[in-house]
Parts: sequence; C-alpha cells; structure tokens
Amino acid sequence: MKYLLYVALVVSLVPFQAVLFNRLTIYGVHADLVLIAVCLVGLQAGELDAILIGIALGFMQDLFSGNVHWENLWLKPLLGLLTGLASRNVINLTLTFSLALLLALSIFSGWVTFLLKSWQGPGVDFFAAAQGIILPQACYDAILGVVLLKLIQLITPPRHQFPAASYE
Amino acid sequence: MISLQSMVGAKRAFVLLLAVLAAALLILPESNDGPLKTMGGALVTMAGHPLKALDSVTQGIDSIWSRYIALLHVHDENLNLRRETAMLQEEASRLRERAAASDRLRELLNLKEELPYTTIAARVIARDPTNWYRSIVINKGHDDGIGVEMGVMTPSGAVGRVVKVQRQLAIVLLIIDRNNAITGLVQRTRDEGIVEGTEKGWAWIKYLPLLSNVKVGDIVVTSGMAGGFPRGLPIGRITRIERREAELFLSAEIQPDTDFGRLEEVLVITTPRESANLPLLPVPGRTQLPAKRTE
Repeated sequence: MKYLLYVALVVSLVPFQAVLFNRLTIYGVHADLVLIAVCLVGLQAGELDAILIGIALGFMQDLFSGNVHWENLWLKPLLGLLTGLASRNVINLTLTFSLALLLALSIFSGWVTFLLKSWQGPGVDFFAAAQGIILPQACYDAILGVVLLKLIQLITPPRHQFPAASYE
Repeated sequence: MISLQSMVGAKRAFVLLLAVLAAALLILPESNDGPLKTMGGALVTMAGHPLKALDSVTQGIDSIWSRYIALLHVHDENLNLRRETAMLQEEASRLRERAAASDRLRELLNLKEELPYTTIAARVIARDPTNWYRSIVINKGHDDGIGVEMGVMTPSGAVGRVVKVQRQLAIVLLIIDRNNAITGLVQRTRDEGIVEGTEKGWAWIKYLPLLSNVKVGDIVVTSGMAGGFPRGLPIGRITRIERREAELFLSAEIQPDTDFGRLEEVLVITTPRESANLPLLPVPGRTQLPAKRTE
C-alpha cells in the first residue's frame, strides 16, 4: 500500500503542480509541492524512503522544468536525507520543529538553486532572489507543509517514539 | 544533534550513492545527459496521462467558473429573472468563449498560412513546476516533429525556444527567463545584441554598440543569427537605455509584446533558420512610450 502511494505520488504530483497548483500563487510565488512531499516522507517514514522519493520526484521535476542542469535530481533526495536524519534525532516531533525544519530546508534549497544559477548561468541578484523567491517560497512551503503534516497525523498512526533511555 | 552513527548498511550505501549522483550531475556536461533524458522519457510518458487529465479538469473548472460561479451575483441581483438570466448568461459565456477561441485560432491559422516557414500549432498545458525558471509545457513533442532549439512564437512575436522534448510533450524556455539568450536586432538602427530575460519578467538587450543612437520606444526583433528564430520576429519595445561608465557596450530594457501570463496557443517554428527569410513583421499597435533615458 505504501509503495502504491509512492508510485501515485511520483506520477501525479509534478503534473498536479505544473497544471493546477501553479495557479495558487501568493505575490507570484507558489509552494514547491515536491519539496514538501519529500520532507513529509522524511519526517514520517525516515531518510531511506525520503531519498528514494526525492530522487524520483526530483527527476520528474527536472523533466518538466526549463532547467537543464538536473539540480532537483540530487537536491531533493538530499533534503529528504536531512529531514529523515533530523526527524530521527528528535524525540518528539512537534509542529514547531517541523515548521522550523521545513522553513530552513526550503531556504537551503533556494539558496543552493540560486548558487547553481549564478554559477552556471548569467548572474542573478541575490537580494532580488531572496526577497522575490527564496523567503516567500520558504514561508509558503513551511506553512503548507505543517498543515499537510497535521492532516497526515490525523489519519495515520503516530510515528514511533523512541524512549529517552534507549535513544542512540 | 544530527548523527550518522546509527546509519548502517543500505542506508550508508544510499547516502554514498546520493553523494556520487550529486557530484556526477554537477560535473556532467549538458551534451552527455542523453541517458537521463532517455530514462525520463518513460516517466514523462506515464506522467503525461495525469498531466493531460488534469489539464482537462482545469479546463472544466474554468468552464464551470466562467459559466456558473462567476455569474452568481446575477442571481442575487434579480431573483425573478434568475433562471432566464442564468440561461442567457451561460449561453453568452459559452459563445463568447467559443468566439474568443475561434478568433485566437483564426489569427494563429492566418499567421501560419502567411509565414514563409513551416510551423506546428501547439497548446500550452502546464507551466514550470518551480519558481526559478520561466517555462511552459506544450502538448506537442518528438512524435509531432518538435526538436530541441526550435523557436516558439505567437502572433504577437517571439515566445521562447524548446529546451526539452519528449514523445508527446515539449518544454519551452521563455525569452523572459534569465537563462535564455537569443540574438536580437533593433529594427530602426539595425544594431545587434543579445536578448536575455530579467528577474522582473521583462527582457534585456545587451552588447549594443556604444555609439548606437537607439531610443526608447524602438522595436527589437529577432536577428535570425541563432536561437531557432527567423529574422524579423518582434520581441518587444525598448523602455530604458543603460549606459554604464567604463563599459564598451550599451544595454537596454525591453518590454515584450507577448503577454506571457496568458499564453494559450503557440506556434513552433520547424523550418531551419537558414531557409527562412521573413519580411519584418509589423508589431501590434501600442502607444509610444514616454522617453526615459538613464545614462
């Protein structure tokens, strides 16, 4: 069942984003559903699942995007790995922690994309990119991600909690 | 505190694989990414079905929105005439939509017949899934004769160039994307430059000769030298000229003639540019912009 869900996610999430979700923009910026999905998988299912989903979804995102550098193919699994590791190393996965994590990872992702664009193409103004894309998208990603995480937690059993004594 | 100590076996192998993948992709030349594109073909074919299904759903929603939901205020205004008004509005809306689509397609068809090179009409079905690139997905691909680097246009002018092609889909990088560069020509002065996108969603022509007498309001067209476009296709009008100290060239900001937010149908230019010889197309009428020159 889990793998069926993953396949459905891989096949339909990027088309959903490209056709429908791109219309839901705030000040011209839309949330990155792939980033949110990879982070949620990392939080709920661990880094291994998140890496695999990250590779598949990042690949799909690159296929449908105008970029020619395949940056999402490695960036999204990296985010999945970081989310999985961070999630596994906290005892209680609170919404505040999840919000901060999603915000930080989205900013990190935007910053890496900005560096790649600057490195591989004509220069981009950092402050324009930070103000116009990175920060608004990070806020959008974090809020939407936490709302989706809460919904997931309502319909699925809570993640296994490690007792403090047996941690590591 | 993040710890890698608890990662064993397969997990470490995956992390290693990820690191190798990242390193390989960073140093991979663009010309050698054929295997990735081949692998992607199957995935895109699979994802193409939900993409087209979602596009149909979107059209349905748009249709419902324009025909019903947007007309709800009429219902509130006049309860007695509600049914009749709704019916008439629904029919009028449907006819307007058909007329608009017909006008657009007729314009596209007329242009297609008049153009001295072959084109393929395509519909815009999606937009870039990230915030970082300005691209569109069109519903024609390799099976229809679309190839990489082909130019894409509308009756208003140049739109972009094809950067990725799958069997039934293609990705077009718009001329307002920062990573896109095509050669442009100032129609009046015949000065050539490179047209690139800007963060604001406009375009910018660089490397104009320092002594050029280019003015605000001048029309910029494609030069036909590179980028899959024939000579003379409108790009936009110059709105600001920039002359920086110690630079050997002029730059100018261009407001594109095409409304990239409302692209619905486009033409993909399939004729090789060597065989195309386009007379300069008239740019759709627009009031002359006020003179503004920053030096």
